[in-house]
Amino acid sequence: MSQTAEKYFFNDYLWHAVAAVMVTTAIAAIFLLAPTEETMGIAQRIVYIHVSVAWMGLAAFVLMAITSGMYLFRRDLAWDHWSRAALEIGWLCCSLTLATGSLWAHAAWNIWWTWDPRLTTAFVLWAMYSAALVLRGGVEDPHRRARMGAIVAIIGMLDVPLVIMATRWFRGIHPKSPQMEPTMRVVLLMSVVCFTLFFTMLLLLRRSQLRSADMLEDLQAQAEA
Amino acid sequence: MTGRNTINHHPPEYQNRCCGRSPTPRLRPKVSHSPGDLRSDVSAGSGDPRRTGVSQSQYQKFYWMVSKDLLSECRSLRVWPAMLLLGVVVAMMFAMQTDLPPQQLRQIVGGLLWLTIFFAGTLALDRSFAAEREDGCWEGLLSYPVSPTCVYLAKLTVNVVALAALECVLIPLFAILTDLPLLAHPGPIITVALLGNLGIAAVGTLLSAVASTGKQSSYLLPLLVLPMVIPLVLGAAEATRLAVEHDFGPSWWRWVELLGAFAIVFVTAGIALFEFAVEE
Repeated sequence: MSQTAEKYFFNDYLWHAVAAVMVTTAIAAIFLLAPTEETMGIAQRIVYIHVSVAWMGLAAFVLMAITSGMYLFRRDLAWDHWSRAALEIGWLCCSLTLATGSLWAHAAWNIWWTWDPRLTTAFVLWAMYSAALVLRGGVEDPHRRARMGAIVAIIGMLDVPLVIMATRWFRGIHPKSPQMEPTMRVVLLMSVVCFTLFFTMLLLLRRSQLRSADMLEDLQAQAEA
Repeated sequence: MTGRNTINHHPPEYQNRCCGRSPTPRLRPKVSHSPGDLRSDVSAGSGDPRRTGVSQSQYQKFYWMVSKDLLSECRSLRVWPAMLLLGVVVAMMFAMQTDLPPQQLRQIVGGLLWLTIFFAGTLALDRSFAAEREDGCWEGLLSYPVSPTCVYLAKLTVNVVALAALECVLIPLFAILTDLPLLAHPGPIITVALLGNLGIAAVGTLLSAVASTGKQSSYLLPLLVLPMVIPLVLGAAEATRLAVEHDFGPSWWRWVELLGAFAIVFVTAGIALFEFAVEE
């Protein structure tokens, strides 16, 4: 194996394969290893995916704010690639969080939606992600787009603690520390780790695509000039 | 500055440079601004011996910018009438749809009032920079030796005044339509209104500058601002509800503290980030 091929293999295919195997393992563990909960039945298994994507949605938001700050500080589009990739993956995870949470709520509480603090916070996060996506779609200049996206990301990050504080003062029904069997806890942990790795791979892939797209645009501009 | 309704109400040394009158607008020197410094020396007139100091000069510029926008609006009447009309129509529609007993109405009047203020106030927030983008006014504004902080604070002040004018109409209107004692304790209501205005204007002014650079500024601003001001709308609505119920205990103070914290965080963030938003 040549050095270039080896580098390519270890950078991409190996880790993609590892992520695919881990997600398959997590899904298998959720359906085969975890015991069925007595009161909720099979619907309780949603919680393993729900917790994993919710955690990733919040982590992507923090990553987006940090890389946005770094872009404003350094003015290097490489930071914006991270920020944009985090925005897109975060939006996907937040959407999955709302969808899985709604399914779980219907099974547990017989309602599709309630203004519980955590649900409200998840919705506000999703709305911020969506607004940032729409904003970025309307600006063509890459540096201007990066700057505008960075401002919205930082403002959003500052807003999250206030959203949590405000919504927590309302009454909430979201389970804070669910009582689980040891096997369930192991499956939950495994699921969180596996899905985190999977979405991290998606993040890296998307960031790599954005970098390539920018390089291609630069080359096209040079060829035209 | 609004195109044909432009008002030449600027610092004397820049009277002839308004709105593209200068044939070659000078770009604002980036290095001379430090974010958050109202007293940063960017004044071309700072060497003028008649001036008593840089700080005073910056405060004068702030005053001129605020009076320019207010005078422009008073003469042209482009935004405020539409904003007030929208507020009245939305309030009437809410009142029409919520013909409830007083006990139930008390629970929701705060939320309805603050949603109406937000949606009608968005018109004023949107125009604060969209108007500057017309007829080369933006380039004229950037050519002035005024720090971005000064521009931000001036626009923020104008937006706070616009929202206060809106509330002067909407709060009595809601009191009449709902027959609830919204004006029984003016002090607490005015406190909530001022803090709410400051918070909405702080976020709205910054994001208006951001949205005005894109193609879809007219519909993007509410989409950007509403998720950000959810804690503020929630806090203001709850504080208003408690004021209507004459409950000024710890829970009322807790919401007022949240409104205060929101205003402090976002005015500070606006001062720090505005320079990046207006960079060309």
